[in-house]
Amino acid sequence: MKARQSMDELLSDLKRDPNVVHWHTVPGREAVSVPFPESLDSRICRALNHRGINALYSHQADAFQSVMAGKDVVLVTPTASGKTLCYNLPVLQHLLDDPTSRALYFFPTKALAQDQKNEMEQLIQEIGVPLKSYTYDGDTSGTIRQSIRRAGQIVMTNPDMLHSSILPHHTKWVSFFENLKFIVIDELHVYRGVFGSHVANVIRRLERICSYYGSHPQFICTSATIRNPREHAEALTGRKMTLINRNGAPAVRKHFLFYNPPVVNKQLNVREDEMIAVKTIAARFLKNRIQTIVFARSKLKVELLVSHLQEINSGRDEKAKICAYRGGYLPLERRRIERGLRNGDIMGVVSTNALELGVDIGQLRVCIMTGYPGNMASVWQQAGRAGRRQGDAIIIMVASSNPLDQYMATHPDYFFSRNPEDVRINPDNLMILADHIKCSAYELPFKKGEKFGGQPADDLCEFLADEDLLHFQAGKWYWMNDAFPANEISLRSAVQDSFAIVDVTDRGHARVIGEMDRFGAMTMLYEDAIYIHQGVQYHVDQLDLDERKAYIRKVNVNYYTDSDLAVQMDVLETDEKKPLQGLDADQSFGDVSVRALPTVFKKIRFETMENIGWGHIHLPEMEMHTNGTWISFSEAWTNRFGKDVFQGVLAGLSHLLRHAAPLFVLCDQSDLSVVPRIKATHNELPTLFIYDKYPGGIGLSKKLYEAMPDLLRKAREMAAACDCESGCPSCIGFVSEGRAAKQALLHLLGAVAPCR
Amino acid sequence: MSLKQKLALYKKQLHQAQQAEKQPIHRQTEDHSTENESEILVAANALKSGIRRFEDEYVLVHSEQLSLTHKIGPYRPGDLFRTVALWHEGPKNHPLSAAALRAEDLLFFDTETTGLSAGAGEMIFLIGMARVNRNGVVLKQYLLPGPGHEVAFYDAFLSDCGSLKNLVTFNGKAFDWPRVKTRYQFVRDQVPRLPAFGHFDLLHASRRLWKDRLDSVRLQSVEKAILSMGRTDDVPGKMAPYLYFKFLKHPDAGLISGILEHNREDVLSLISLYIHLSGLILGDLPADEGESFQIGRWFAQLGAADRARSLFEPLALRSDAYGIRSKIFLAKLCKRAGKYGHALSLFRSAIAEEKEPDNLLFIEAAKLMEHQFRDYSGAMHYTQRAIHGLRERANAEDHSGAALLSDCLKRLNRLDQKMLRENNG
Repeated sequence: MKARQSMDELLSDLKRDPNVVHWHTVPGREAVSVPFPESLDSRICRALNHRGINALYSHQADAFQSVMAGKDVVLVTPTASGKTLCYNLPVLQHLLDDPTSRALYFFPTKALAQDQKNEMEQLIQEIGVPLKSYTYDGDTSGTIRQSIRRAGQIVMTNPDMLHSSILPHHTKWVSFFENLKFIVIDELHVYRGVFGSHVANVIRRLERICSYYGSHPQFICTSATIRNPREHAEALTGRKMTLINRNGAPAVRKHFLFYNPPVVNKQLNVREDEMIAVKTIAARFLKNRIQTIVFARSKLKVELLVSHLQEINSGRDEKAKICAYRGGYLPLERRRIERGLRNGDIMGVVSTNALELGVDIGQLRVCIMTGYPGNMASVWQQAGRAGRRQGDAIIIMVASSNPLDQYMATHPDYFFSRNPEDVRINPDNLMILADHIKCSAYELPFKKGEKFGGQPADDLCEFLADEDLLHFQAGKWYWMNDAFPANEISLRSAVQDSFAIVDVTDRGHARVIGEMDRFGAMTMLYEDAIYIHQGVQYHVDQLDLDERKAYIRKVNVNYYTDSDLAVQMDVLETDEKKPLQGLDADQSFGDVSVRALPTVFKKIRFETMENIGWGHIHLPEMEMHTNGTWISFSEAWTNRFGKDVFQGVLAGLSHLLRHAAPLFVLCDQSDLSVVPRIKATHNELPTLFIYDKYPGGIGLSKKLYEAMPDLLRKAREMAAACDCESGCPSCIGFVSEGRAAKQALLHLLGAVAPCR
Repeated sequence: MSLKQKLALYKKQLHQAQQAEKQPIHRQTEDHSTENESEILVAANALKSGIRRFEDEYVLVHSEQLSLTHKIGPYRPGDLFRTVALWHEGPKNHPLSAAALRAEDLLFFDTETTGLSAGAGEMIFLIGMARVNRNGVVLKQYLLPGPGHEVAFYDAFLSDCGSLKNLVTFNGKAFDWPRVKTRYQFVRDQVPRLPAFGHFDLLHASRRLWKDRLDSVRLQSVEKAILSMGRTDDVPGKMAPYLYFKFLKHPDAGLISGILEHNREDVLSLISLYIHLSGLILGDLPADEGESFQIGRWFAQLGAADRARSLFEPLALRSDAYGIRSKIFLAKLCKRAGKYGHALSLFRSAIAEEKEPDNLLFIEAAKLMEHQFRDYSGAMHYTQRAIHGLRERANAEDHSGAALLSDCLKRLNRLDQKMLRENNG
């Protein structure tokens, strides 16, 4: 057997590797420590000493002081900077001073709440005062629920539980709400988009109940690095926030490498698949027993990488030493992996972003990212997994061939100077707002003129009364329906009108394996589609529109399906409009109607991507009203380049914008749609629409409207940076008249003033 | 864009979303009515109800007095005095016992609500209650004329109800009472304190006695099948919320008179049902073998061994399933009383009569033989039969079975040792 290579040897190998296109070293940092604040209870000080903590990081002390001064606080904390103490210290201090007070913690997942509860219990034990902290979630047994409601001083839960159990039954929590002093919201950045907009409304409901019971709790929020933590926390809680972002925690030296796989097809400018590169690099570290974490963007990729890596590692008991870690695992399984990573039994872990959340897995030396994770917040969270405690850390980002990855790989300066993205929510999205007004009216009647999230709820209450859900009497709207509204509203599914996905492989034991919104269902679950769920292929037998169910059956085929949509875009209302400087075009923002009709689907072979068949889709048209932003170009451009070429320009620009948009707003590519039209129906001009893929919009296209000139500049840079001549996946994609279109596009966008 | 404009733009989509969530119900699309007190007063008149005011709120109260000889199915309210007197001689610790009470202390109680889930948004819109005293039955019903009148509603009810320590309900413990507590939270600062409460839950007793013979143990089915009562034109309980919602929009007495009648009959039935259940339990009424067996079992669980034995003894003479099950209960009672010989012979006879005796019978018998009679070979025989039976029924997920099996194997070993020692000694 070959002797093991050391970390240094591996590093010098990498230094010689021509595919490593950039090597950036982030120097380590010393801790900025301050003594314990004088007001900190001596019992807490003793407990901390007992753990070997004799001073606080500066941000921990800042947080303690601000909270004790009665401020609502949002803390920005990188991975492993001791954020838990930032909220636990002031909360514990307060509970020691006044044991009747209560604190509510909420975490995005049950697993996180469980972790935090264990940590809290240890600390409480060391303090030596019997403070009561509990988790309260779907797993909490009925027998102890009552005592938690009565006597739990710290209750740790999740937003879903708050929404469907605690708030609708607030009369069972009277003394809890009367004495509620703190609301701790961890991992604030997770509450974005539709989910975040729902959670903001759950918080509005929580505030209504607190004020009913006469309490005015303080908020303590923590967030990973995002561009607008204070703004986001304020949007989510409706409070003015104090921002604490001076990090006092130490960090080890980090080597940040960009690896760009070699071009394997010169004509098409196609690069080696990033999965293959990741596999090879990860294997080098794993074979030398260096703990490594690999991030991949989809569950499917995680499973594929794990099976490849397990093959390489063929030693007898080595196989178990590489695991997948992703959402959807049972708690016990996750605990086992976390423990294995901490004590070194597990060498490698391949994860989706589930591990971005603050689960403590201890130190790993190397972090490999399969492609740019889509946003800088994730980059730094994932990078933070390497070198949590000691020794140099290595982070390798392996670029895929999509435009954004390629742009990052060739513009490292841009990458490292980049600010993290904005996080956006839209709590006033009408669909979401209406849902939560229902829930809130169920909890407490609405008085005429009463505000919900800053604006009067009267109009919506009247609407809901017309719908026979509320009853107006003596100046108040009361819930007057026999339904339990919270049961019908899920915070995490996109639209209420969701389809159940039913696996009927085993005829006798049909089971629901997931759900999907109507739009998704009609584009992915049409009859004869191949639907992939957790890496397993299913054939769609039937899509029942009335019952909102899709019946699917396990199959094993070597193709997937992709649907073609005929999309009709109409502008309902233009809210804002202005000329785009230097470009003979206008940009607008407003409400749009999207009418989509799935027409045909293609069957595409996995390995070769060739088209091996097609079929008709028989479904009615769907309509969605949402927010959109659009660019309308002057007719002069079409005349100048010719219709065919300009059509290619619009298609190419759509491809670029689809990838560039996540640089400006924290979202997934699937949250937005980009649709080009050579002749838009509303003004007959060549127009490119970008819209939020959620009814009513969640604020993404609004932000892109504001950032449009920068967005277009970025698109131009991406196209210009690519060496290909007539379009490739890394720039404008494969479009008609590719060569001319790429030239025309560069010319067109050249007029937008260059980047600062 | 203002919210109002948005609403206009998105109304269709929003409406569809609401529709998608709801089951289809026939809906009225008239303009939602403003409150019309004069209409309600007309309705109150038609419902033979008075109005009680509390500041600017009010509640409809219907009171009536029925004579002690008014027939409620097979009984009359006057029979309750005899029932209570019998309890005075009867077992003190039975859940239905009125041993320390007078008939006047019992409050028969039922509510109607706007929904079946138990959250903060469900309201009680009708409370019915009845007491029996020497002059007759005093029955009262409180109807909430709209959601904004809960203070008047609970103030009237709580001022009138007196002690709530002896509520007689059908599923009140799990249903009615938690809802009273929930709604009380909203008015607690303005109305009399919610007194301590105690329960006679007739659903619990009915389930024990009749769940084998009824498809569902609901008050109406008990009335029909057990008390041979029939209701004419009864409004099904699940229609009540819809009718009440309609009434709120158009206070027409005809919409809810059926609900009031339904609630009235429920409350009165509770009186008869309590008399009937008490009669069976106390042996004042002839119980059939199924009822006797369940009553015996109930006494056995309550530790009233004498009463249980006197019920099981005649049953044990039967040759049907009740006979065997009664023998087993008797055997256990004998064992507890130290009458081992009697217990063992009852177990043996149960084993002999049963086609496929339960393994626990063998184990019980084996225990007695081993520890009381030192009949090791007999004990061994039964233990082996138990092992055989357990193995046959073995099933991976049945942990209690696995535990029993391992106990049996231990017993077998021990018996083996004991026999060896005995033979050698």
